[in-house]
Order: sequence, then structure tokens, then C-alpha cells
Amino acid sequence: MANLSKEDVLKLARLSKLELTEEEVSKFQKELVEILGYVEKLSEVDVTDLTPTTQVTGLTNVTRKDIVQKYQADQQALLKNVPSRQGNSIKVRRVL
Amino acid sequence: MVSAETRKQYTVTIGIECHVQLKTATKLFAAVSNDARDAEPNTLISHICLGMPGALPVLNEHAVELASRAAFALGSKPSPFSTFDRKHYFYPDLPLGYQITQFYQPIVLGGTVTIVIDGQEKQIGITRAHLEADAGKNTHPTGADYSLVDLNRAGTPLLEIVSEPDIHSAAEARAYAHELYLLMKYADVSDADLYHGNMRFDVNVSVSKTNELGTRTETKNLNSFRSVEKAAEYEINRQIELLEKGQKIDQETRGWDEAKQKTLSQRGKEQAHDYRYMPEPDIPPVELDEAFIERIFKSLPAMPSDWRQKLTSLGLDASQTAILIDAEVDSPVVNYLPLLEKVISDKSYAKQLANWFVNIEIPFRSDEANIVELPNEARAPMYHAVYELVTGNKLSSSNAKLLITELLGHNSLPESVEKYADEQGLVQVSDTGEIEKIVVDVITANPAAAEDVRNGEMKAIGFLVGQVMKASQGKANPGLAQELLRKHLM
Repeated sequence: MANLSKEDVLKLARLSKLELTEEEVSKFQKELVEILGYVEKLSEVDVTDLTPTTQVTGLTNVTRKDIVQKYQADQQALLKNVPSRQGNSIKVRRVL
Repeated sequence: MVSAETRKQYTVTIGIECHVQLKTATKLFAAVSNDARDAEPNTLISHICLGMPGALPVLNEHAVELASRAAFALGSKPSPFSTFDRKHYFYPDLPLGYQITQFYQPIVLGGTVTIVIDGQEKQIGITRAHLEADAGKNTHPTGADYSLVDLNRAGTPLLEIVSEPDIHSAAEARAYAHELYLLMKYADVSDADLYHGNMRFDVNVSVSKTNELGTRTETKNLNSFRSVEKAAEYEINRQIELLEKGQKIDQETRGWDEAKQKTLSQRGKEQAHDYRYMPEPDIPPVELDEAFIERIFKSLPAMPSDWRQKLTSLGLDASQTAILIDAEVDSPVVNYLPLLEKVISDKSYAKQLANWFVNIEIPFRSDEANIVELPNEARAPMYHAVYELVTGNKLSSSNAKLLITELLGHNSLPESVEKYADEQGLVQVSDTGEIEKIVVDVITANPAAAEDVRNGEMKAIGFLVGQVMKASQGKANPGLAQELLRKHLM
């Protein structure tokens, strides 16, 4: 059975940039353990001699030429979705 | 300050990660211009760079080609099979929420870089090199409670080159960084413009008194060879000082403060990243066949280490060799090594030409007050003509220098270099009769010195040769003048 400490939950929350209340931590600790247990079922399958699947398309070398193209959405259309701007720059909460 | 004595007890171990910006026209996964140098913020962006839902990144084939060239420059070869992965972290300059990189199967595995340190060659192992997309740029206006994000750089193709921990001093760290710069320039995979951040170095340093490695720190984002050396030096001293005081080293990321010339803690280990790598489903694997790899290999020019061997075999010393190898990539239009290559079978000419480059043309060009007008294709015939005059005893070596600097300033080569040199009064007189007349005059005018030579004081002959040169306004062949003086005095 998978095990998950309170610290593990807090670390996950930090990596996901989430703030959790005390109750949420306990709640997710229980739920995440259940999820892990469920996923752990996969470990029962014998995968010796199998190449890990990283792609399901079977494609290789999907590339493009090194030439500038015009895409449908131009710069102004893209910046329209930005919540806060200063001129052309995207304004965010201070990160340093 | 750590005493040299204490210092000697510690082994220094350094590994360097270097991000090289590849010289493509467009980004790694989006067909958007890559040249962010003078662009207004957020003008070189697309739905792919911004990580819009449903956007499909498509790999730039030229980036694969450049990474393959770099593989050979790093003493390796491109891997026939490589894949892309997602590296997750949250930061405003990374709108996708992950960086597309090559974690599990990079395009370059293994390799060797040869550095020269104190005239000795040393091999530094390369662990791997992989393709990845750069992040955007954050700026933090002073006093403001916000940061500004510019995503022009987001998605720029980088090759991250990871060295083995084979570097054992700050000087070696600098030599390695400089060698990578040369390799990337010679292989023509990057503009390698350090001022514009085309190459950024992360330096991992640890020290230990035992066979076990010490705790390492990583100083990130160094953008000059000098700062690589200074930061490594600072970390070595800082760590030894802490250990000597019985304190522990924190494994952490540090930054380099150029103004204070010290490293500063940026991020503690309690915030150590967990990147949750997973295969990138949007980018199918890259398969390179033998024909492609062979074609890339054949298209590569000689590398700095090849040149070092060639130039050393001409009899040039380490510093002359280094000057030539650096100068070759200083300017995109002025070449030195191809000119040497063409004449390399004539060893004495090749050596003379190399000396003229090192002692005359390279310093001349590096002085901004000097203007070189001579077209590049006229340089080889110019040097050859000057060489003919020197070997024909018509030009002294000091006048050869005058003539070369003079001609570099011309916008075309004179029809006859010899005639031009003669007009300028640079051709030396090797006519015995003419010089003999001067020699006799000089002996008459300097009886004391002449007497000294007669008494076997050979120092005085140098003085008399000088007088002959002066009287001939520098035109006399000094060898001949000395010969004639000896004839008259001994």
C-alpha cells in the first residue's frame, strides 16, 4: 500500500503553487494515497524486455524548415489575453 | 583569506553546464524570428511560444543540424536516436509551465574537449549535450511591486553542454569556457556573442580534503570567461574558509554579483526543484541516419585543436598560436588560418606569414584608430610580394612591417609592390659599392669605436652598424654593412 506523509503533500502543493488549509492537507493525503494505490496496480504487470512507450503516433522526424512564417493569431491578438500589461510587457506580481 | 598552505590540502572539483544559443533564423518549436536583440518586448511571439491550449510545437530541422555539428566539435557524434521531454516548473517567464528539453535521450552523449592550460593539453570529458527551448526574460523595475515579462526569447533554441567534473582550478574553468566558445564558433553553430548572452555558464564547485566529493554549489548565469574564473575562485575560497571554521557547505544555487565580485545565495536546498520529467508527446523522436551523420561530419572545418597542432609544427609558440586561433573568429570577414593553410607546404613562408599576422596585422586591426582598406582577397598576394622582397634581401624586417601596415591602409594593391616600396624609400641598398662608401665615412667619423673593434671589442660593431643605417636613412642592408665593417677593421 502506498504511503504519503503530510510533508509529501505540502511539497506537492508547493511544486503545484497551491496553498492548502490544514483540512485540505489531511483530505488530500487520504485521497492521494488512494490514487497512488490505484496506479500501483500497474506495477503488477511484467514489463521486462519491453521498450517504454514514450510516443503512440509511431512518427519520427516531424520537423519544419528554419523559415519565419505568419501564424493566424498575430501579436496583438495574443496579447489581448494578457490580464495586465505595461506597454508591450506582461505585468506580473514581483518575482525577485 | 585562505593561505596557500591550507589551499593545497583541498582538491577542487568543478563541472560546468553551458547554454549555447544556436544560430537559427527561427525558434526551436515555432516559426517565429529568433533575433530578439533589438526587438520591442513581446513582438516575437506566437501561440506556441505562449503555450496556448491546442498549440502544436514543430521541431526546427536546422537546430537538429546545428546540434549535430556541435556533437563533432565536442569530440563526439550525434546520437542516431533522441527524444524530447517536459521539465516542469512554474515561473512567469515560462508560460507553458514546462520547458521542452531532452532529458532521457539527448542528441549528444559523451565527448571530449581539449583545453590548453600552462602550455599543456588537458582533456575535459563531456557528459552530454541536449537541445532545449529557452525561457523568456523577466525584468524587475526598481522599487516597483511588479515584474515585467518579455517572451521574445521564449523558445529560442539552446544546446546545453554538460561537462564531467574534470576541471580542477578556476584557471581551468576559464580555459574550458573559452575553448567551448572557440568550438562553437569554429563549428559555426552559434554567434557565441557573450555580450548578448549567447553563451551562459553555470559553474558547479566543490572542495574536499578526502577522496570523497564535497558538497557542491552551483553559480548560475555567468556570461564571460572572466566571471567564470572569478566566480569559481570565489567559491573555492569561500568553501574552504567555511570548512576550516568547521561549518558546513549548503548545497544551493548562487548568483554572481559582478559589482561586488562575489557569489550570493539565491535559492536554498529546501526549495530544491523537482522537475517531474515526462516524455513530450507533441515532439516525435529524432532519428538520424548514417548518411546524414556522414554529411555533417564532412562539412565541418578544422577545429582549434587541429590548428594548434599545425601551428605548433610550424614552430609557433603557445601564445602566438592562441592569438591566431582567437583572431580567426574575431571578425566574420577577416581570415588568417585559411591563408596559412594555402602556403603550409612552404614552411618558412608559412611561419613568416603567421608571425606577420601575430605581430603586425592582428594588433593593427585591434587598434580602432587604424583603418584597414585592403580587400581581403588582396592580402595573400600582398604578403607574398613582401615576402619575396624580404627573402631577396631588398627589404629589412622593420621596413617589411612599415610596408605591410602602409599597404593594409590602401584600398587596392599597387601594381608592383616592389616599385611602391622603392618609391617609399623602404627598399634596402644591397649594392656593395654604395654601402662601402658609407662604411668608410662612418669609420672616419667614429675613430674611437673603430679602434675598439680593431682591439676585438665586438660590442662597438653594433654601434657602427647603427651609424651606417642612420647615414643610409635605414636603407642599407644591415647584414651587408656589418660584413663590410669587419672587412675594413679586422
